[in-house]
Amino acid sequence: MADASIEFKGSSFTLSVLHLKSSELADIRADLTKKVAQAPDFFYLVPVVVNIEQLSCSIDYQAVKALIEEFNFTFVGFTGAVTKEQRFHIRELGFSFVNTAKANVPPKSTIAPKSEVKETAIEAPKVVEHLYTDKVHRGQIRSGQQIYAKDQNLVIIGSVSAGAEVIADGNIHVYGSLRGRAIAGAKGHHKAQIYCQNLEAELVSINGNYWLSESMEEHWGSPAFIHLTDTELTSSKLI
Amino acid sequence: MARIIVVTSGKGGVGKTTSSAAIGLGLALKGHKVVLIDFDIGLRNLDLIMGCERRVVYDFVNVINGEATLNQALIKDKRVSSLSILPASQTRDKDALNKESVGKVLEELGKTFDFIVCDSPAGIEAGAMMALYYADEAIVTTNPEVSSVRDSDRILGMLASRSRRAELNLEPIKEHLLLTRYSPKRVEEGEMLSVEDVKDILSIPLLGVIPESQAVLKASNAGEPVILDTESDAGQAYQDVIDRLLGETVEFRFLVAEKKGIFSRMFGG
Repeated sequence: MADASIEFKGSSFTLSVLHLKSSELADIRADLTKKVAQAPDFFYLVPVVVNIEQLSCSIDYQAVKALIEEFNFTFVGFTGAVTKEQRFHIRELGFSFVNTAKANVPPKSTIAPKSEVKETAIEAPKVVEHLYTDKVHRGQIRSGQQIYAKDQNLVIIGSVSAGAEVIADGNIHVYGSLRGRAIAGAKGHHKAQIYCQNLEAELVSINGNYWLSESMEEHWGSPAFIHLTDTELTSSKLI
Repeated sequence: MARIIVVTSGKGGVGKTTSSAAIGLGLALKGHKVVLIDFDIGLRNLDLIMGCERRVVYDFVNVINGEATLNQALIKDKRVSSLSILPASQTRDKDALNKESVGKVLEELGKTFDFIVCDSPAGIEAGAMMALYYADEAIVTTNPEVSSVRDSDRILGMLASRSRRAELNLEPIKEHLLLTRYSPKRVEEGEMLSVEDVKDILSIPLLGVIPESQAVLKASNAGEPVILDTESDAGQAYQDVIDRLLGETVEFRFLVAEKKGIFSRMFGG
């Protein structure tokens, strides 16, 4: 009996595994903050499995998941050599338990099919790039006006006046002068960029990193785009 | 149908009332029936500039409240019979107007007049919104300096979003840029924004450039709109504005500083 539209197959992936050595959430948060700050780009939307083998006492699984997602990881499930009860408890909470080859694999009949399904699902985050549609505005954005492209790129055919504000969760393109404020990647999109035909902005911001006009001297008054390297804003000549 | 033109700016003191008076009188001198309305309730000025302050009996608010008819409140200009003035109330404030009643008054005026020129108060509050709400065209009065330009930009945003035409999704208000108090000499010295700078920022069509002139203050104090002073550069520049409003193509004047002749330079003229 072959299914035409779907097929389940087992594949192996290299996954990042986060080994917890303490059940103290505050400590975990502090160490994660340090780690992620070193290379935010690298960790962005990376699928992560949490290994709880080294923990001596139980931990709040839901809080761990929330914490992981707070740092923009994609939470996959828990792993590690733990007791049957713990595993049962984790699954009861609605989380998947991922078996490693090394872990004590319980009888195949109960767990194996489930984990296979999970492995296919692991692929998903890799495909989910930021595929934004465009919100197009024709005409000038005047002082005091504000425009927000929610979950979209923002394209403005016209200038953005001083005192105006354009915000997008994706990229911002201004086919005119950018004299007001432009905030791209507003929901935390690290690769968002800002393009304009004449850079004279009051403020530009990508994923929370911002520049005031004094930082834009290099390409002031010329066509430019702004993007983020690891943690710093950079401007480049457009043409 | 009457053309409703609002003279607006955002910023105060840039020459809205002076321009309203000059444009209203200029259009009337061309034979059109014109009514000038002072929307600056509480800070009545237009009657002074027009030189009819002693003839105000009833005002705009009286008409709105039904205390007087339009004909009782309208003041006929003594110089040009086709021009009337509807003065503001000095004793009330801007909340005295409401959209419906203003709409009714404008509709009534539209039956007899070709042009309704609305002199807007400064600011972006209720009074200014009321003045621009019913407009078909807007003359955005701007001085060549950054704060005035930014305020004009703000008003242009309002024209595009808060007017009746915007609310009903009609053809947008026709925008005109009127640059006042322009001094070519100071532009050359880099102290003032140039016509091109302002056009670049606001990107709306230029209607006129009025040079900074002694004649304007003199005219205001005398209650004789500056357009009557045909000798002055400001008066001539307003004349050009009228021609352009009526669809003619007129070259822009007074954009460059006058060069002193060799004799006046030699003799310190």
